[in-house]
Order: sequence, then structure tokens, then C-alpha cells
Amino acid sequence: MRVDLKLLTVCALLLSAATVRAHELGTTRVSVLLQGGKTYDIEIVTDAASLVEKLDTSRVEPSPADASPDRLQSLLTRFDETFRQRVTLAFDASDVHPAIAYAVSPGADAVSSPMATIRLTGQIPPGAGHFTWSYAWTFASYALTVRSAVAENPATQWLEGAQTSAPFALTAPAPPVNRLSTGWRYLALGFTHIVPGGLDHVLFVLGIYLLSGRARSVLWQVSAFTVAHSITLGLSMYGIVAVSPRIVEPLIALSIAYVAIENIFLSELKSWRVALVFCFGLLHGMGFAGALKELGLPRSEFVTALVTFNVGVEAGQLAVIGTAFMLVGWSCAHRAWYRSRIVVPASMLIACTAVYWTLQRL
Amino acid sequence: MSLPSTLRRLALLTVTALVLWRVPLAAHDMWIEPATFSPQLGQVVSLRLRVGQDLLGDPLRLDPSLVNQFVVKDADGLRPVVRRDGGDPAGLVRVAAPGLVVIGYHSNPSAIEMAADKFNQYLKEEGLDAVSAARASRNESGKAAHEIFSRCAKSLVYSGSATDAQGDRPLGFTLELVAEGNPYTERPNQDMPVRLTYENRPLAGALVVAMNRLNPAEKLSARTDKDGRVRLKLRPGGMWLIKAVHMVPAPAASHADWASYWASLTFEMRNNSQVSSLNSQR
Repeated sequence: MRVDLKLLTVCALLLSAATVRAHELGTTRVSVLLQGGKTYDIEIVTDAASLVEKLDTSRVEPSPADASPDRLQSLLTRFDETFRQRVTLAFDASDVHPAIAYAVSPGADAVSSPMATIRLTGQIPPGAGHFTWSYAWTFASYALTVRSAVAENPATQWLEGAQTSAPFALTAPAPPVNRLSTGWRYLALGFTHIVPGGLDHVLFVLGIYLLSGRARSVLWQVSAFTVAHSITLGLSMYGIVAVSPRIVEPLIALSIAYVAIENIFLSELKSWRVALVFCFGLLHGMGFAGALKELGLPRSEFVTALVTFNVGVEAGQLAVIGTAFMLVGWSCAHRAWYRSRIVVPASMLIACTAVYWTLQRL
Repeated sequence: MSLPSTLRRLALLTVTALVLWRVPLAAHDMWIEPATFSPQLGQVVSLRLRVGQDLLGDPLRLDPSLVNQFVVKDADGLRPVVRRDGGDPAGLVRVAAPGLVVIGYHSNPSAIEMAADKFNQYLKEEGLDAVSAARASRNESGKAAHEIFSRCAKSLVYSGSATDAQGDRPLGFTLELVAEGNPYTERPNQDMPVRLTYENRPLAGALVVAMNRLNPAEKLSARTDKDGRVRLKLRPGGMWLIKAVHMVPAPAASHADWASYWASLTFEMRNNSQVSSLNSQR
């Protein structure tokens, strides 16, 4: 039954290969295992007697077809030097000299012939990029299967005897850049740069929010801030403006302190406040650019990444405002004590933190 | 290691290298190799398909999609071989009747593309001069060739005693080698007549090559006469492979340029003492 299953598998293999195969398929198969880019372990399984016949050109063995597995194994070991002449494994352009172990086992059933299992092992030269293989001890076509950490699934090539395999990459190719996945990735990066990554930006946005309970106030300031940071983010990423983070970072902290302190003395939106928030937005945009440069941008999807990162930042800010509104704005912004008990103490807390940051970043 | 043994080793290596590093042939022979050529009556004989050159061959698995016919013909008539799909040996035959047992494997075509130089070398090796000439006249000698090839392999095994009249029988293969007479009862050192037919008609002017397992490098070859016949002086002892290749323009539907047919015939020539003991039995 075991043999029947094996035959069925082979049948399936043969049928699936029928469209791509040129020559007849033999009983040889070669499996290559590349472990962690450090060692290789190659297993050749082939008909033992016909291999000995080909190696034994001086006819030491008159009829290897009738030889026992043990006899075949000792003959294979004896012909090691000859065997190596027609087996080539190369890493990049340099051939390597593997350790070879020969084993012969009896056929799977009464009519099957003994099979040789030949193992080639050794070290992969450091820094090697490609692996190529050729095995010229068979006239029939055979399957070469390569397994490695690089590829999830083993790679199979159908080779004819003496044919050299296509090079197999040992290092993973760069993952293909896809606009949609890049977009999602940078959107998420933008969002997490605000929540939970950027407490300074969170406090700035809260400072903007706390000025007045009116929607008009929040809308104007947020719009000014958004337009401003989008401008400097883009300009910085294209290298048109460049201001050292040693200047930008303390100024960002100072802008937070300013907005918070102003909230204590001001309760109505003034047009110069919008203008100031716009200027601060320019500063924060340069801060975002610094963060985005640290993350790195794919060259081929530069614009996608830039835009989606900015949108992500925006979504993070809106999430902060939405949360603040749900917690305090919605229920108590119209109450008389809202300013004295919420806005002023919160703004003082933000101001103290921001002043501390300013000093720290200097 | 002493000097003489080093020298001997060196000489052996040189010989090995010379034999091995011969330019490999562009295309390979395919033949049937039974586990024995002289089975007992009732014995089950396993059949291996082999591909290679100079009778050094690799076993082939039986590819079900490639089998057109896999049959056995004896005194009782024609029947299919017991196939082992995907296996090596590819099939089993039970010797049910005494006498000569004819085993045949006819494959479906396989496609192959060959670079111009390799294809030209192959035409030269297999004596396909007419195809070379046709390519030259069409200025195609420098072009790669798309070919479909089919195998038409036969093997003769012999069981027990039988009458002289019982010889090889045609199986109706597209290209077929038929031994005229019974190689197991031929008297030693007689010429063995072999006939080559294409679509059941004698094929004239084709190259027929014979080689023996005991010395595959030494080849006998002859061109068929107008009756498709060659006479080969086959010495006794060991397995013989007789082969011929024929190539015709491929049918339009095949998307190939050329269609080739590979006929082979394997059998064993007994040595003198075996034949005389056989004759005395009768």
C-alpha cells in the first residue's frame, strides 16, 4: 500500500510535469537545503546500479545490476573521485568542494532496484549571493528542489542531465513595492506618530482645542495648522527647506507652551491666533518631516508615502480632538465652570510640561 | 603511495577522463531492458525502460501520459503489459507460452527545442542526411529546430524450446525493427537479417546501428537496402541493442518542424555452448 501511494504521487508529478518536460523523466531527484545562509545539505537519490555502470568505465564490476546494496555502496565510495568530476555546485562563480557520503538501500519492493542516496554537505562561502547546480551523471531529466529560509516554498526546476540550473538567490529580493500596501503602511505610521508616539503634538492639539468651546474656533485653528504642516512636511521631504532639529524641536515645545499660556488669558478666537497657529504648524511640519526621514521613504512610491503619512498624522490629530470632545467638551463646554475648572488647569499643566520640554531640548 | 601505483592510478584516471569527457551525444537512445532474457515458463519478468548512450542508461519511470502502447506478443497473441504507472521497473510480463516473447513500448510524442548546432550534430550522428539536406536547401541550417520525438522500443526474450519458424513478429509500430528469424536459435557467426519498416512499409537508406553491452563503444552500422533490410554480423554473448532513427516533417497541428521516431530492439545473443545445447534439446 505504501508503495502504491508513492507510485500515485510520482504519477501526479509526472502528469503535472508533462507540459513542461522535454526529455523523459528518470528516477533521479536532487534536493538542496540551504540552512541559514551558512551550510548546504544536498541529497541525490538515484538508481545505484546504473550510476556504478557509468562510473565504472574500467569494468571493475562485470554486472552491477546483480550486485548487492552493500557492494554497490562500496563501489560508489571507491569511485568518489570520478563522481566529483561531473557534479558542480557553485556559490556565485566559485566551485566548492563538498564532503560526500554514499549510501545504498535495497529497492522499495521485490522488483525495484537498489537506490543510492548521496549526501553532499559543506559551508556556504560567506557573502555568497547565488547558488548553481549541475549533475551530469544522468541522461534522463530530473527534478531539482531547493529549500531555504529565503523562500517559503521550495523552488523546483526540471533539468536535463548535464544542464546547469538557473542561479538560485540566497538573499531575499526586496519585497515588491505596491502602492496600496505602501499607502496603508505610511497612513498607519502617520497616525501612530501622533497617537501614541507624539505626546508633544497631542498636547499642542489639546491646547488648540481648549481655547474655546465653539466648533468654529477648533475648525479654524485645525485647518490653519493642517495646511501649514502639510506645506513644510512636503518642502522638507523634497529638500527645499531644511532647518536643523536642534532649532525645530525646542521651538515646537515653545509653541505648545505659548498656546497653553494664551488659553489662560484668552477665551475668544482672534484672527492673529489663527495666524500664529499657522506659523506653529510650519514648525510642526518640519518635525514630522524629521520623523518621516527617519522611517525612510520608498523611492518609487515617494508621493504616495508622503501624502498618506500626512493623512495619517491628520487622522491622529482628529482622534485626539474627538476624544477630548467626548470626555469634556460634549457634556460641560457650555457650563459656567468649564473655563475655570477644565480649561485653565489643563492649560497650566500643558504649559508647565511644554516649558520643561523647551528647556530640556535646548 | 609507491611510484608504479601512482602511475597506474594516473593512467586509469586518464583513460576514465577520455571515456567520460567524450562529447555527449545530442540525443539519447531508449530501449527496453528485461530483468532476464531467458525466463522460465510462468516466470514474471520486470521490464525497465532506459535512456542513455553507449548502453549506459538511466531508468525511466513509466509516464502514463506518454504511453501509446505497452504490449507483449507471444504464441498466444497480443496483450497489454502489466503497467506500473510512475514506477521503475515500468511493467511486468508473465511468460505464459514457450518460445519468443516480443515486448513493445510505443510512446506518444514529446516536444523538444534544439539550438541549430546541436540539432545539426544530432542529424549527423543519427545519419539523417535527408533532413540535413532539406534544411540546407531551405537555408534553415542555422535555425533552431522544434521537434517531436516518439519511442518505438522492442525487446525479445525467449523461453524454453521452440521451432525455428517462430521469430520476431511486427507489432505495427510507426517505425519498427523486426529481427528476421530468432536470435536465440541462430547459429553462431551467421549474419542476422533485420528489417526496418516505417508505417508498415520497408524503409530504405536508413542507418541501423548495433552495439553490445560487453563493448558498447564498438558499433556495427549499415544502411538499409531497398527492402529495408540490413545484415549484421552479431557476435555471440551479451545483450545487443539495434537502433534506427527516422525523421519526417511534423504534422502541421503539432507546432513542430520535425517528427522523429526512435526504433530500438534489444535481445541477448547466447554464446556458442548455450546455442548448441539448445539445438540438441530439439
